Amino acid sequence: MITGYHPLVKRLLDGELSLAQLPPELRAEGEEALRLVGAADRAPVALSPAFEERVMAVVRRHAASPGRRAWRWLNAPREVELRLRVRPWAVWAGALAVAAGLVLLLARPAPSPEPRGGTQQAHVGTRDSVLVRFVLFAPGARRVAVAGTFNQWDRSATLLVPAGTSGVWTTTLALPVGQHQYAFVVDGARWVVDPAAPAVADGFGRRNSVVAVTAQGGRVL
Amino acid sequence: MGVRLGLEGEGTDAEVVRDVLAGDVERYAVLVRRYRDRYARFASRMLGSRDVAEDAVQDALIRAFDRLADCRDPNKFAGWLFLILRNRCYAEQRRRQREGRPLAEGDEAFAGPDRPDGTLEQLEQGRALDLALGHLTPEQREVFVLKHYDGLAYEEIGQLTGATVASLKMRMHRAYDRLRDLMREHR
Amino acid sequence: MRTPQLAVGLVLVLSTVLPHGLGAQDVAARLDGRVPPEAQRAVRGIAADAAARGLPVEPLVQKAIEGGAKGVPADRVIAAVRALAGRLGEAMAAMHEAGVAAPSGDVVEGGADALNAGLSGGQVRELMRMSHPPYDPALTLRVAATLAALGVPAKQTVQLLAGMISAGRSLGDLLSLPGQVQTGVSHGATPAQAAAGLARAAGGTPPGRSPGWVPPGQRKGHPHKP
Repeated sequence: MITGYHPLVKRLLDGELSLAQLPPELRAEGEEALRLVGAADRAPVALSPAFEERVMAVVRRHAASPGRRAWRWLNAPREVELRLRVRPWAVWAGALAVAAGLVLLLARPAPSPEPRGGTQQAHVGTRDSVLVRFVLFAPGARRVAVAGTFNQWDRSATLLVPAGTSGVWTTTLALPVGQHQYAFVVDGARWVVDPAAPAVADGFGRRNSVVAVTAQGGRVL
Repeated sequence: MGVRLGLEGEGTDAEVVRDVLAGDVERYAVLVRRYRDRYARFASRMLGSRDVAEDAVQDALIRAFDRLADCRDPNKFAGWLFLILRNRCYAEQRRRQREGRPLAEGDEAFAGPDRPDGTLEQLEQGRALDLALGHLTPEQREVFVLKHYDGLAYEEIGQLTGATVASLKMRMHRAYDRLRDLMREHR
Repeated sequence: MRTPQLAVGLVLVLSTVLPHGLGAQDVAARLDGRVPPEAQRAVRGIAADAAARGLPVEPLVQKAIEGGAKGVPADRVIAAVRALAGRLGEAMAAMHEAGVAAPSGDVVEGGADALNAGLSGGQVRELMRMSHPPYDPALTLRVAATLAALGVPAKQTVQLLAGMISAGRSLGDLLSLPGQVQTGVSHGATPAQAAAGLARAAGGTPPGRSPGWVPPGQRKGHPHKP
């Protein structure tokens, strides 16, 4: 049979009354109640030492490949007309993790009218360029650019544009086949590596992202 | 809970959230460090086990990261994270109920830091209270933990959970009675 | 694919993209307004020095411009450019030892990247030797540098590339190696483990070829040797 505390004792436990304010006949019950509640062990609970690193390891993974359902379609290479019809970005709204970059290889190299053969002059860069889409999810940004070896590290040469209202920024460049280093520049001053791409030291104490542009579907042999 | 000023150089919650959303993923570690212990205590009391609590806090922090763009007011990150953790705790409790595994009983004791100054009786009482908490309803347990373990006022609890102060007090008073009964049996 | 010359021509695409023979005036013009003024003079000097030694100047200009764009203080820009010039010199020396008299600027830069990432001069030479047409040594070296920078041990990096090349994998396959290692790492593997997995996969025969197939040019001698 439950015998509850007197309502005044409950108010004591709530901190609205002091022990001295209780009627004398309730003091003993009040003290018993305070002892019960006072037994609460308020000591901090220690988590394992590796806790923070475990969480950050997963966070980094998620940053590099957020919301796998929504983004999986991006990872499949697609052919895109040069006019660049953009798919609806609405699927991304709200479902994504924070800043993640993705570089997509979009198009086959532009076909060359010159016959393949013979001379040393072969093909100039533009004929063997591939369209590459740079994507950054940065809903807090006001301005996003990409700078790298392909544009002389010019912070204002290649601005990304918002794609829809979901915080995604994007641009597409024609890059020659090979390896390029780059980084995103957010709000003109903050250099951000692409969490989804390999990164290498830049010699200044920071890192650059690396993109390998391949002639999609093309093999030299 | 509420807004917490950052340690020197680490930034306020709002600043850190902004940095993370702007692409600086590593800054999220500041928030992990800042809230893990506080929420570990809440979760361990709610779930009756430190290990289960650790999983819950980890899941909550990761989920909070995944949806950081949805945090409408970065100044209120702490409360927002709390709700995520709370949902996670409730889900865990429901799951264990479905599986017929009551909380706290049979689970390992809390691995709190050693307290050589605590008397055996105090430790036993504390342990008994922990076990008794497992027999409250989740709502009763939550308001008791937030008030008597985390030291929040009813108004703050109301802000966090969305419940009115009146309904919180009602739950709390039922919890007091139930605990008295349980602890009396223990004695 | 008609002749080895075509392969060489395609290989040259990479090096013709970058201008070579950058004159002193070009250097000054490129740096002006983009690199801290205090650094410009020193960088011009380092570049002139490099040019006199037959080293490529373009990577030095790029590095200085990168530092300027990132707001790096002048002394650090100078230090980074100087360090790069040193590595270019070392790479050049390694290539001479490998019997390559006049490597292109791109190849030397690739060698410098590889040295920077921790590969030895001997490993640079090895990568050069295995990179006969259609395998551009600049590309092989750059990929090796990126792999090593990702944490794949140097020796394993070389072995992985050797395996890919002897299996006749395409340039595109080589270029995608760093990304694949990155993916493996993001799934919890160490860089070495990820690379080992790729090496195992690379050992197989590329589709459409018969086992024991050897790419043209690999059978006899080394085309790079003068």
